Amino acid sequence: MMMLKLALRNILRNRRRTVLTVLSMAGGYLLVSVQLSVTEGSYDQVLDFYTRDTTGHVQVTVEGYVETPTLYKAFGLTDTLLHTLADIPGVEAMAPRIESSALGYGETRSFPVNVRGVDPEPEAALSYLADKVSAGHYLGSEPDAQGYVRVLIGAQVARQLSLGVGDELILVSQGADGSLANDLYRVQGILGQPGDAEERWVVMPLAAAQAFFVLPGEVHRLVILGADYRVAQRLASRIAAVLPDPALSVSPWQTVAKEFHETMTADKEGGMITLYVIVFLVCIGVLNTVLMSVLERTGEFGVLKAIGTSPARLFSLIVLETLMLAIIACLVGLLLALPINLWFTVQGIALAEPMEISGIVFSHYRGQMSAYVFGFPMLVILVSALLIALMPGIRAARIVPVDAMRTL
Amino acid sequence: MSPVIETLDVSKHYGEGDTLVKALDRVSLSIESGEFTAIVGPSGSGKSTLLQLMGGLDNPTLGQVHLANKDITQMSGRELSDFRRDHIGFIFQAYNLIPVLTAAENCEYIMLLQGVAETERRKRVYAMLNRVGLAGREGRFPNQLSGGQQQRVAVARAMVSRPNIILADEPTANLDSQTGSDLLDMMHDLNRNEGMTFVFSTHDPMIMERASRLIRLKDGCIDSESERGES
Repeated sequence: MMMLKLALRNILRNRRRTVLTVLSMAGGYLLVSVQLSVTEGSYDQVLDFYTRDTTGHVQVTVEGYVETPTLYKAFGLTDTLLHTLADIPGVEAMAPRIESSALGYGETRSFPVNVRGVDPEPEAALSYLADKVSAGHYLGSEPDAQGYVRVLIGAQVARQLSLGVGDELILVSQGADGSLANDLYRVQGILGQPGDAEERWVVMPLAAAQAFFVLPGEVHRLVILGADYRVAQRLASRIAAVLPDPALSVSPWQTVAKEFHETMTADKEGGMITLYVIVFLVCIGVLNTVLMSVLERTGEFGVLKAIGTSPARLFSLIVLETLMLAIIACLVGLLLALPINLWFTVQGIALAEPMEISGIVFSHYRGQMSAYVFGFPMLVILVSALLIALMPGIRAARIVPVDAMRTL
Repeated sequence: MSPVIETLDVSKHYGEGDTLVKALDRVSLSIESGEFTAIVGPSGSGKSTLLQLMGGLDNPTLGQVHLANKDITQMSGRELSDFRRDHIGFIFQAYNLIPVLTAAENCEYIMLLQGVAETERRKRVYAMLNRVGLAGREGRFPNQLSGGQQQRVAVARAMVSRPNIILADEPTANLDSQTGSDLLDMMHDLNRNEGMTFVFSTHDPMIMERASRLIRLKDGCIDSESERGES
């Protein structure tokens, strides 16, 4: 208690210097916290969109399909499997998919396409597919009045094959049994714009895709959505633990979209360099202040040592003083960062030009309010304060009393 | 009586070669318990250096210093700190109180380091400050006290931890003669009534008058020693 009192009174001795030091550290906290909030908010937007739109949070596939997808690596989608997975806490939505390629024919031209078989309703609940229809209507499970299976086609497919809503599309491919697959479909809608990720897609109901590729009752992926992409690995472990078929594999989105995940992580780490530069500059300033304060009190430390204060206690006094400054700075920084991060999260910064990805519009840079955004800068400031205190602390601890007291 | 402190051929040299200065040269002396000793001599004679070596504030170039039957020159920094805390009380010329602690807290600080329980600390601090005539001023900070009062706090701080010996380096040098005389009377009383051992480095005649033993230093060596009866 006495050491706390001593440390507190010491930092209050030169109030102006203490205020400036606290403000400098609080400024560092504020910059790091706001930068983290905006960065995390932006990554959060992108990753949440990407995982919902493309990979889901977790996928169940045949072992090896994620690494090398082929038509033949399909598995039977049974009710038992679906019920088992649906009962796992955290599983919010599931959608089966078939994916392969084919050659599409219009009136006069052909064009290579990526065929996707989806269950229309679960897919619409899980991904943004239904929101991407730029012309016509979203998929239905049933054929139209003339018995045509209805499909959605990507904008590039529509352009290359000169197809519009209501036109006929012929697909030719190979079935899983080695037979020649071909069929006639009716265009129900167009997806997005040329240049979008879906530009070469042909999306049809799951049953139609199973019939086309001769995969009765089978799928390539069972895409699962949990509460949050951040807990996908935990969800994947829970699913893997109860999966009935050992031939099946469970992969979180980080594995499914490995390159994307690695690129995002590298980008994020690059952004952290800016934060470390900010912290470094703040540390230099604070180190100077703490060193000055120790130098000024050299004589006093000599007296403290002369009357029996151990070197370790003297060292801990300096550390305590620096940590106190850091804690006060973190509280001030927190008070300043809270409203700013809240504003970024709720309001955000409007982009000069809204960004459209596959028909989904991003118009604002958003911040994020999370324990990480406020806790990480606190940890950085406190650890930095500890490091800063090392040199002056060691200096104070090694003082020779008789030499130090000559400065009084 | 067994010696409280003993120096054996203690030397302190600064510099080397042509610039070698012998601040102390082979000084051997022994202080018995209950003494009121003054080390006197002109400026530069080595009084303060000897006191610093006796208190373990500095290490001798040669020789040994024994305190409570232990050679303190062989101790590590940590051991020496603990030893000073438990066995030696210091009174400095410039008082050297901790400016951010009150009079009571300055006295309490050493006992805190010693691990004395809080209630015992408080009891001893208030009793000691009362003993040195500072009752009612326990909560004042050093800058709220006069020079004499600050030196009384320093005396209280030195005594309250119950050391074997109190080393006082020119304790009256910054005080007016009346305040200095009062303070010396107080220390003398403590010596007579409580058997506290005092060693002063001084050239203050008032201290010399009261001292039971005078050790005269000249050019870093003991020039003469004299003992007096009860003064």
